[in-house]
Parts: sequence; C-alpha cells; structure tokens
Amino acid sequence: MPSKHIIFLILFFQNIAFGQNCNITITGYILDKGTNIPLEFSNVFLENTGAGAVTNEQGFFEIKNVCPDEYHIRVSHIGCHTEEHFAKIEKDTLIKFYMSHHSELLDEVVIHGSHEDNSTEVSQTVNRADITEEGNKNLSDLLENITGVSVIRNGSGISKPVIHGLFGNRVTILNNGITQSGQQWGNDHAPEIDPFVADHLSVVKGVGSLAYGGNSLGSVVLVEPDNIQEDPHLHGEVNYIFQTNGLGHTLNSSIEKNGKWAAWRLTGTFKKQGNSRTPNYFLTNTGKEENNFAFQLEKKLKKEWRTSLYYSLFNTKIGILRGSHIGNLTDLKQAIDRDEPFFTEDKFSYNIDAPRQEVTHHLLKFEAKYFLDEEKIIKFKYGGQLNNRDEFDIRRGAVSDKPALSLSLFSHNLETAYNGLIGDSHFLKTGIQFEMTDNNNNPGTGVSPLIPNYRSYQTSSYWIIQNDQKGNWLYELGARYSLKQLTVKQFTRTIPRKLEVLQHLFQNYAFSGGLKWKPNSHIKTNFNIGYMLRAPEVNEMYSFGLHQGVSGIEEGSRDLSSEKSVKALLSVDWNVKEKLFIQALGYYQNIQDYIFLQPQNEFRLTIRGAFPVFLYEQTNANISGLDFLLKYEPQRHWNIIAKYAIVRGYDLSNNIGLINIPSDNISSAITYTFEDGEKWKSSFITLNGSYVFQQNRITQEQDFLLPPDDYFLLGLQMGTSVEVGESNLKISLRAENILNQTYRDYLNRLRYFADENGVNFSLNFGWSF
Amino acid sequence: MKLNHKFLLAIFAILFISITSCKDKDPDDGPVEELITNLTYTLTPISGDPVTLTFVDTDGDGGNDPVIAGGTLSANTTYIGSIELRNESVTPGEDITAEIFAEDEDHQFFFSASNGLNATVTYSDQDGDGNPVGLSSTITTGDASSGTLTVTLRHEPNKSGSGVADGEIANAGGETDIEVAFDISIQ
Repeated sequence: MPSKHIIFLILFFQNIAFGQNCNITITGYILDKGTNIPLEFSNVFLENTGAGAVTNEQGFFEIKNVCPDEYHIRVSHIGCHTEEHFAKIEKDTLIKFYMSHHSELLDEVVIHGSHEDNSTEVSQTVNRADITEEGNKNLSDLLENITGVSVIRNGSGISKPVIHGLFGNRVTILNNGITQSGQQWGNDHAPEIDPFVADHLSVVKGVGSLAYGGNSLGSVVLVEPDNIQEDPHLHGEVNYIFQTNGLGHTLNSSIEKNGKWAAWRLTGTFKKQGNSRTPNYFLTNTGKEENNFAFQLEKKLKKEWRTSLYYSLFNTKIGILRGSHIGNLTDLKQAIDRDEPFFTEDKFSYNIDAPRQEVTHHLLKFEAKYFLDEEKIIKFKYGGQLNNRDEFDIRRGAVSDKPALSLSLFSHNLETAYNGLIGDSHFLKTGIQFEMTDNNNNPGTGVSPLIPNYRSYQTSSYWIIQNDQKGNWLYELGARYSLKQLTVKQFTRTIPRKLEVLQHLFQNYAFSGGLKWKPNSHIKTNFNIGYMLRAPEVNEMYSFGLHQGVSGIEEGSRDLSSEKSVKALLSVDWNVKEKLFIQALGYYQNIQDYIFLQPQNEFRLTIRGAFPVFLYEQTNANISGLDFLLKYEPQRHWNIIAKYAIVRGYDLSNNIGLINIPSDNISSAITYTFEDGEKWKSSFITLNGSYVFQQNRITQEQDFLLPPDDYFLLGLQMGTSVEVGESNLKISLRAENILNQTYRDYLNRLRYFADENGVNFSLNFGWSF
Repeated sequence: MKLNHKFLLAIFAILFISITSCKDKDPDDGPVEELITNLTYTLTPISGDPVTLTFVDTDGDGGNDPVIAGGTLSANTTYIGSIELRNESVTPGEDITAEIFAEDEDHQFFFSASNGLNATVTYSDQDGDGNPVGLSSTITTGDASSGTLTVTLRHEPNKSGSGVADGEIANAGGETDIEVAFDISIQ
C-alpha cells in the first residue's frame, strides 16, 4: 500500500473532447503539504507505461502522449517518502500532488467535501512513515516526536502523553473520532490503541477543543485512520521490526481494496518483547505482548450518503518491573537506596509474571455522512467501547493468578453534527453528543476496589462559527455546554459494610475564540483563547486505597467542584526564504480549583506500617510554556531540525511547583539525504541528540525522591528503499541511546527503582505492494 | 438499499433508548482476601506468666485505627516467642498462621529492637530448605531498658541474601506484609 497520508489529489478536468488516441497530456504540480512550497526535481512516473517527468522550479511537470487508462502514479522527491496514487485518466488532466517534505511542519487538516476545514487551532502531526518506522513503540512514545509533548511512563511498556503539562483525565484522545474510553484515570494505564491503525497522529494544542467529547482542558490527541484509496486493486503492506533491547518482534500487516460492493481494509499487529536491559542489568518482568486487529468498511450509498464501519480490537499483556512491587515505605526507601532493583536476574527472559496488566479494548464505530449539497453535511456517529482491565499482583496464598484489580468499562457515544455554510461568508459547525459510561469492578478479586462502580451520562452541545477564509484573516467563535450526571455505588469502609448510592450533577460550559492571520505564504500567526470547565472524575472523588507503585494511600474527596481553566495560546510560523522555518508557540493557562494529590501531614497506620496519606484537593494553579521548532535546509541534501520545549507549573495557593511537570528538553537532528540511485532510492542518514534538564522546581516534601539529573542521549538512523517490480521495500536501522548512557527520567514512575533502557538497535523492513 | 433519513434516525433512537435503559450493577461485597487483621506475639518465659503483644485492626486498612498493645518483660530473661496471625474481618475468622506455615519458603519474619531496647531475638524454626521462618522464636532480654520491638513479615524475601538467615533484613528484599512496632519496657 502506498503511503498516502494527508495527501489529497485534486483533479481538474478540462473541457477537451474525449478521444481514444494516445495524445493525452498529464500536467501538474508537486507541492509541499506543510508549507505549499513547490518541490523541484520531483519525479512523476506512470507505473504501467514507464513514462515520467521531473518537476521544474515551480514544481510543474508534464507527461505527454498518454493513452486513456487507469494508472498507478508514483511520485517521489528527495527526503520524502515515495507515494503512489491511483487515477483514471480519460482526457487532459491537471493534478496537484502534495507531499510531506516538511512533515514536522504539518498540521491536521480535515476535508469536508470540497471545503477544507480550516481551523484557528494549532496542531502538529506524526505521519505514516514515522508510525511504520517506529511501530515497535507505543502510541505515546510516537507522539513524543511532537514538540511540547512529553510522556509519563511506568517502565518502558506503559506510557501516556503529557501535552502542555497536562495528562490523563485532562487530555482527550480520539481514536477514529471516538473519545477513547478506558481507565484513563490511572497514571499507569496507557491508551489502548495500536498506532499501526492510524494514517497519522495529531496533537491539537488547543485551548478549548469544543467539538470533541471527553473532558479535555485544552489539548486533544487524534488517531486518524486514512480513507481507503479509490483504487480497485488489492494493495497492502507488511512491516517487520526487530529490536535488540528486549529481543522484540513487531509484525504488522494491512491489506485494502476498493471493491465493487464496498471498500475495505484489514489491519493486524503482533508484538512480543522480553525483558528490557539497562546498561548494567536486565529489568526483570518487563516483557510485553500485544495482538491487535482492525477492520474498516466504507460504502457510498447513492450520491449523498457515505457510510463507514470500523471495528478494532486491542489486546495486551504487559509485565511490570518485579522489583517495583513493594509493600510499604520501608521497602520503598530500601529500593531507592539500591543501585540495582531487587529480583534482578542475570539472564534474559520473555516470561511475564505478576505484577502485570492484561487489557482488552474493543471499539465499534458506525458513521454516516449525508451531503445536503457540497457545502452542507450532516453526520451521525455511534461509537461503542468495551474495556476490560485486569491487574495482577504478587499475592499470598497462591492467588497470584487472580487479578487484584479487575474492571469492565462499557461506553456508548452518539453524535449528530452539522457542518455547512451559512450565508455565503460564514461556516457553522454544530453538534449534539451523548456519552454514557458504565464502569464496574468484576467480582471475585478478593481486594477492596480502588475506585467504586459508577455510571455517568453526559449530554453536550457545541456551536462553532467561523468566517469562510478568503482573505488573510480567519476568525472563529465557539461555545459548548454539557450536563453530566454521575451515580456511584460503593460499600462503606467501616464494619458493618453498607451499600451507599451517591449522585452528582455537573453543568459545564466552555467558550473559545480564535484568530488566524496569514498575510502571505511566509508567515502565519494563530491566537486562541478559551474558558472551559472540567468535572472531577470518579478517581478524584472516590478513589480509596494504597497505590502499590508509590506507597501512599490516595483518597478522593466527594465534594470537589469543576476545574475552571482559562488558556491563551499564540503561535507564529515563519518561513525565511524557504530555507529556514521557525515555529514558535507560547501559552499560558490558569486553572481555578485545579485538582491534585496533596500530601497530608498524616501517616495512616496499617499492619504493614505507616503510610503517607494523599488527598485529592483543589488549588489555583497556572501552567505556561514554550514550544519551539526550527528547521534549516542549507542545501538540497542537508537539513537540520532543532526543538526546544519548556513548561512551568505552579500551585499558586501553596506557592510551590506542581508535580509531574515535564523537564525542559532540547533535541536536534541532522539529516543527509542521498541522491536517488538507479536502484536505491530515498536513502538517508540522521544523527540526533537530545538533552533533558533536571526538573528542579519541586521540593523534597512533594516527593519521595528528588527528580533525577540532566541527561544526554545520542541516536542514529539510516534507511533506504528499493523498487521490486510494482512493490517497494524499505529498510531502515535505528539506534537509540548509542552511548549506552545510564540515566533516569523524572516522568518515569519507576525512577525510584531502576535505570532507563540502555542501547537499542531496531531493524525495520517495510514492504508495500 | 432503500435507506432514508427516517430509517437512520430510527436506528439512532433505538440505540439511544437501549443504552439509557440498561440496568446498572451493584458492587460485589466479597471477602477481602490476604487481609491480616490480628497479630499476636506471645512471649512465654520458662517460669511465670506469658506476655502478649497484639495488633488489632478488624476493619483492615482505613476505617477505624488499629489498636497496638506492647508489654513489659523481665530483665535478663529468656522467652519463647510464637506468632499467630488471623483475619477477623470475616466470620468465622481465618487462621493466617497456617497459610504462612504452608508457604514458609516464601516468608520470613524479622525482629529488631531499637530506641534503646536491650533484647535480642533468634529464630527457632526452619522451612523445608533449612532457612528460618520466625513463627517461633526466642527472645532474650538484657538489663532494664525500654524501646521498640519491630516485627516485620516479608513475602518472597531472598533468604539466601547475605545475613538474611541471621535475621538481618537489609538484603532480604521482597514485599513487606507486616510491619508493626511494639512499645516494650524491660524491668
């Protein structure tokens, strides 16, 4: 399957008489998707006949004497991934191809019919080529490629994205347009999504994100599968990645066809990894297994209806470092004092024992779009999800095979939306969303549940109005209202235990405004401001129990009120003579009644000793930061990218830093791209380095251990591709932490126990046909 | 293939009704396993009355605070110590001592006298591998003093770790299942 990310192909048919003779001319332009810059020296090639052309300085090409037929058109450009498009050529045709030469400058663009969905919001994407090349990583680690995105981890297998200092309940993830509904409250619960199903991943660095469900206080992650290409032939791809650290295998395959009855795509991914290794020792019980499957069906009904059906299954089993399983504070102190975790074995193993997590996630989505006309669309969407999570602990009495935590979550989302022009100068996006969540503890764990059973209903409506961008200015105003009802059922903590039923009602609203100014093709400025409320989640109100990983008792407070956030964001994109590209983004967010875990001046005595108590409390906080990206292309073969991100978070009531705010980090990559040879094409070599500063804005009282020191990592990547008949084979090698640096990261919850992974080589084969 | 708007709206209406009308489940109030609510450390001298040190927290973690009772020992005396563990949160109560005994290779008690307490504890039992367990012990008091005696139970310790068989906890590892400090006075 050709890689064909956010590429759209626009065909302008000219009024030339239909003729069977071979005198058709195909002309066109090849432009960069991110910047609209013409791509000179691009190759356009008709696979069936071998005819081709090279673009000039304007990105223009011309192929003459073409016979009417169906063609697979291959487009390539130095530093881009070769793409293949299908087109039926019957007359003289003008085609515009958009390639992602500057993929790091790309933003999320949604097409609604003929209307390109311009937004004043700022977004950045990870494209298909990066997903397949680094597909052995999980979703959050891929997102880390985007400036301003960090990752909070629980060992290398479990990670969650941190965007502009917020994560978990405060960041919404949309999988194929449906709010991901798992046990998002846990810092050690990773999003249950296989990145291979996506064509691209986007992070909307927003202020309100009004059109999306969920409870985001700003940013949103979009996992977007591609539409199936209008190609009647069977295409597909196979990716295999081997990694040396953990002797991991990743195999992914997908096939698709635009069949007579409907278009379909099947995707399957299999991953198996054993114990990872730090520079000095193996991390016992850190293996991982994953089996994923997805099915996509698209069908046009008559002219006006477009329907799609999507099902995906995510299934994983992840081991958690054996030495991080502790019983009390004494154990934690002992673990902190050791160089090497307890239970470290001196040989490699694929075994996954307790403690471990087993998670299954099903998503079923149905969507129907009805085109009233080219500019007016009504959408109906249903998304159903079932999430089963079992967590196994080391237990006494031979019950380690029984989960200590077992939760089943059912959720349903229904949405009706309307997008269309109103009048001839404004565009309206509006919708009604209904979300229902039912989360239950499965009986028989023999452990008091950490969070109670609950059910919630949320009904929301949003209105966004924007001008139809013709000039330099685009403005946007939006509002959202939602009503959430929550019912909690739990047993009281004291004997005799009684069943209690508690009800809560939250009314939340949001407003946002945005402005985009694009005076010319070299400069673009976005300004956004938004006010938004977030209702407290069940864990913040009701969690009760011991957090194994960190040895503290966490207690919810049931009278929490909604968080109220104001966020302003300004971004500037500047293209200096098409050689230097600068993206700078600054933001400031103030959150009233920010919910956080406050350590109490209290130790609770249990039979395992005294534990510190953490209570969910509210404070006023502010978070501000800067994302900076610079790309310099001194000449055709070389490019240099530098990224810098800082985040500051303060608890204004207590006058201290917020915990879990990412360290400042800077990274840079230099790439040399080779001239395409006869056989080997798209060959490149990249050297990259990243420097992470110590997070020195929290005090000794806020954590069991102060944040770790600065560290520097060096990496190397190289790749090439070769055409074999009508298929393409890509080979790449990636080396991470080549210096085998011993380090720990502040946002890894296992930093109390063990070092991060040592050197790793990944060898990647990607075959597309 | 006659799909019209009303049909689709009907589907959505049915979905909506079926979603909102399903019944929610009550939580399960099953017994909490592996819970230890009572620890009794009975110290019996060669002659005289036994002394019992107790930890009681019938409702487990949270709820009401545990009650801990220390004791008074005689100076320069040897006591036979035995530990009994129970789960009294269920009726009838469960004997956890037998569970520890059955998995004795995976468990070990550690005893430490601190804050000036003049006493030493040695093991007087063994698991199947010949390593100490600590359900039975011998405590020998010195001159009059007072301080703390901490009883720790480790699950899956490294019994072959350096000094572990002699009761040194430093290299034992594993998870702590019990850590209770008793106030002791020696007269």
